[in-house]
Amino acid sequence: MNKKKIYTIAGISAALILSVILLIIRPTILVYGIQRAGIYAAIALPMALVLGIVHIVNLAHGEMMMVAAYLSYFICTTFGIDPLVAAIPTGIIMFFLGLIIFKTSIAHTLEAPELNQLILTFGVAMVLSQSVNLIATSQPRKISLDYVSASATIGDVSFGIYDFIFPVLAALFLAVLIYFLKKTRLGKAASAVGQNPRGARIVGINVDLTYTIIFSLASMIIGVFGSFFITKFSIFPAVGGTFTMKSFALVAMAGIGNLPMVIGASLVLGLAESLVMSVPHGAGWSPMIFFGLIIIVILSRSFRSKQ
Amino acid sequence: MSELRTENLTISFGGLTATDNVNFNIKSGEIVGIIGPNGAGKTTLINLIAGIYYPTSGKIWLDDKDISQIPAHERSALGIGRTFQLIHPLEGLTVLQNVMTGFLFAQKMGLKQAREEARKLCRTLELTGLDRATGEINILETKKMEIAKALATNPKVMFLDEVMAGLNSTETLEAIDIVKQIAAERNLAVGVVEHVMGVITKLTHSVIVLDTGRIIAAGPYEDVAQNERVKSAYLGGGV
Amino acid sequence: MNSTVQKNKTWPVIFGILGVIVMILPFFSGPYIQSIGRTVITYMILAISWDMLIRSGQLSFGLAGFFGLGSYAAVLSAVNLHFNPFISIVFAALVAGLIAFLVGAVVLRLRGMYFAITTLALGEIFRIIIHNWTSLTGGPNGKLLPKLAFDGASIPTYAMMVLFALIIIALSEYFKRSRIHYALTAIRDNEIVAKSSGINIYKYLLIAFTVTAAIQGAAGAGFAQLYGFVTPESSFNANYTLIPLAMTLLGGMYSTWGPVIGAVLLGVLGEFLKLYIPYGHLVVYGIIIILVLLFMPWGIVGMAGRLLKKGESHE
Ligand SMILES: Nc1ncnc2c1ncn2[C@@H]1O[C@H](COP(=O)(O)OP(=O)(O)OP(=O)(O)O)[C@@H](O)[C@H]1O
Ligand SMILES: [Mg+2]
Repeated sequence: MNKKKIYTIAGISAALILSVILLIIRPTILVYGIQRAGIYAAIALPMALVLGIVHIVNLAHGEMMMVAAYLSYFICTTFGIDPLVAAIPTGIIMFFLGLIIFKTSIAHTLEAPELNQLILTFGVAMVLSQSVNLIATSQPRKISLDYVSASATIGDVSFGIYDFIFPVLAALFLAVLIYFLKKTRLGKAASAVGQNPRGARIVGINVDLTYTIIFSLASMIIGVFGSFFITKFSIFPAVGGTFTMKSFALVAMAGIGNLPMVIGASLVLGLAESLVMSVPHGAGWSPMIFFGLIIIVILSRSFRSKQ
Repeated sequence: MSELRTENLTISFGGLTATDNVNFNIKSGEIVGIIGPNGAGKTTLINLIAGIYYPTSGKIWLDDKDISQIPAHERSALGIGRTFQLIHPLEGLTVLQNVMTGFLFAQKMGLKQAREEARKLCRTLELTGLDRATGEINILETKKMEIAKALATNPKVMFLDEVMAGLNSTETLEAIDIVKQIAAERNLAVGVVEHVMGVITKLTHSVIVLDTGRIIAAGPYEDVAQNERVKSAYLGGGV
Repeated sequence: MNSTVQKNKTWPVIFGILGVIVMILPFFSGPYIQSIGRTVITYMILAISWDMLIRSGQLSFGLAGFFGLGSYAAVLSAVNLHFNPFISIVFAALVAGLIAFLVGAVVLRLRGMYFAITTLALGEIFRIIIHNWTSLTGGPNGKLLPKLAFDGASIPTYAMMVLFALIIIALSEYFKRSRIHYALTAIRDNEIVAKSSGINIYKYLLIAFTVTAAIQGAAGAGFAQLYGFVTPESSFNANYTLIPLAMTLLGGMYSTWGPVIGAVLLGVLGEFLKLYIPYGHLVVYGIIIILVLLFMPWGIVGMAGRLLKKGESHE
């Protein structure tokens, strides 16, 4: 409990120090870093929720985001509405899709070894991405929106401002989740389940129902994010894959069950990536640095927990 | 002739000191009881000696060699054997193959020799039906397999962590005889954790009493049982 | 995954013989069937290698990574060092094995989801390095082989793959029958019990990880030698992880014959489906993974064993 706070503070201050340094050297790096961090945090938060409470690594996480983005795309093109409006129906549909995926498959492996859950969700990921590939082909799709290219100039630095919607979204997700977990009856019960499922069951909490709700809720958040994703990025069936790995890495960095720290972890990664990308020829290598960091962080964490 | 000795052996898990400055020794030919209420730290002491945990401080000596920092599999080869309170048979292996592991790895035998030795060992323990899966054997057989696995590592010092638990009285008597006989034949040093005092009196030469990680009494069982601290530890522990 | 001790040895052997017959049949048919055979065998080798590691309880998603690495090692050594095709395959196995050994020294401290995801990330790292190291690897465009093995002749290349498969099957059986089997099974079942029986967990995991990565590297090299080119996208394709996994699960984990049977069944089914719905076969593989895990986690070989056992106990 106390340790968790220390890590949180250490992580956030590291990100802050890095930001200040960046702000002085190259302000654009800071801006892009924060925008990237927002994307990572927004998609990692639902995974952190599922991992913290249901204790499942959902390897179909990024693929669900991809499916949500396609859903949103088709809703927008069919009904001619804006993706930001489509976020609502997409979120609702994803809630139920999550419910179905959970009930028909994942729920049956909760008691099974972790290995089964990993392989199963890997299978789900493949079914999702390959089905979309089959239905929508691998051709990239994009929605062109005027407002995403809005930019601002401060001093002699100009940058896109629309992308700040991602950090805002991440903050919103975090606030809603924390309110939910701390203040609502259901959320409190879910936290109890996350900390001690057996104990929670003894106290009379319906653990299975809690798992189902939490997984569906996380799917809904993924759905909302998917709609925001399509406003800015082009989508294709394989677009989700890296987000599964990135989200897992961020949750592992933050520590399982520590939602606020996901923001700190995302900031560190977002800023580091943006820094590497600003170096000449750095763009191609930036995911490499990212994965390298993942491995270092996961390793050091696992060593610490072993002691 | 071998001797195992711990020197101020201590381990803390977060705030909890599960083993607290334990000085304990045991020699070939001795059977020492390790008793104490639930959560006293008996299993933790065995885990420390076997190398499952590394101590926060203190040392473990096996005949003049400090083994407190070497890994568990090497300690097994050096002569520390143990059974598990919570038995986890290796489910992917048959009963015979379970017993073979100690011969194969701790004693570094070849497959053929390990198979023969494992058969021989099981015969002395009157354990039969060796080609069965571990899920198909009864509790007495499971306990025998557990003892056989510990013996297969050719231990100088062996710890039995509640091997009698779950056996009925006839089975318990059989198990006591087996342990006594093997300990004598092989001149083993044996540490026995048991909650049933009848087993302790029949089997051991002396006992140590642990409470909240500390040794609070040591000596022959009859003497220790009269000790006021021991009585209150057990009462406090709710036994 | 609950494992049963396989006492009855007849079924796997029958399956195995059938598998070998299926491998021999394409010799008597045309180049099209032989090319399918080569692909199926490539996946079969990958499937066996994945199984060899999962026997220790370690789930690797790094197949595509080592496969791609091996492909590049073979092509680059053939282009730059003028290695002949066979030496280039051996070289690729050594490179993949060496890298796995070095990486494994660190990564094998991880377990469960941490290990699985780190292996996935590793594959991605390999791909990114190859993608960006344009001067050596040709970057996104990849590299062409100047000359194919046997000049691409169908029967000899198929024979080469069959030989390759037989070597890997033998290696896998060696893993099943030697002390390695005892060590890996014990590690999978309970690491603390394994240690207490004197098993050096780290050493055996490192052996398994290195050997299986070398096999995956060799499989990639073989594939590159057959098709004559490598690109980051095709050589590191996620299918090289997905398909072998589905094959092993269907056939049955923790055996040699499970992956062999799974590869033959799904490989043939996949080629068939491909004709009617391109990409549809990949959905089918995913669905098979899910269904097998939910309804018959022990796979075909395991189920046959169980049925047989039931029959025996009724007699
Ligand atoms: N790995 C661990 N992490 C944290 N605490 C532990 C760990 N292992 C043991 N403990 C704690 O150390 C104390 C001693 O436990 P131990 O299992 O050694 O008791 P014991 O004497 O064997 O009890 P019992 O008679 O119930 O078997 C307990 O409070 C236990 O919760
Ligand atoms: Mg105990």
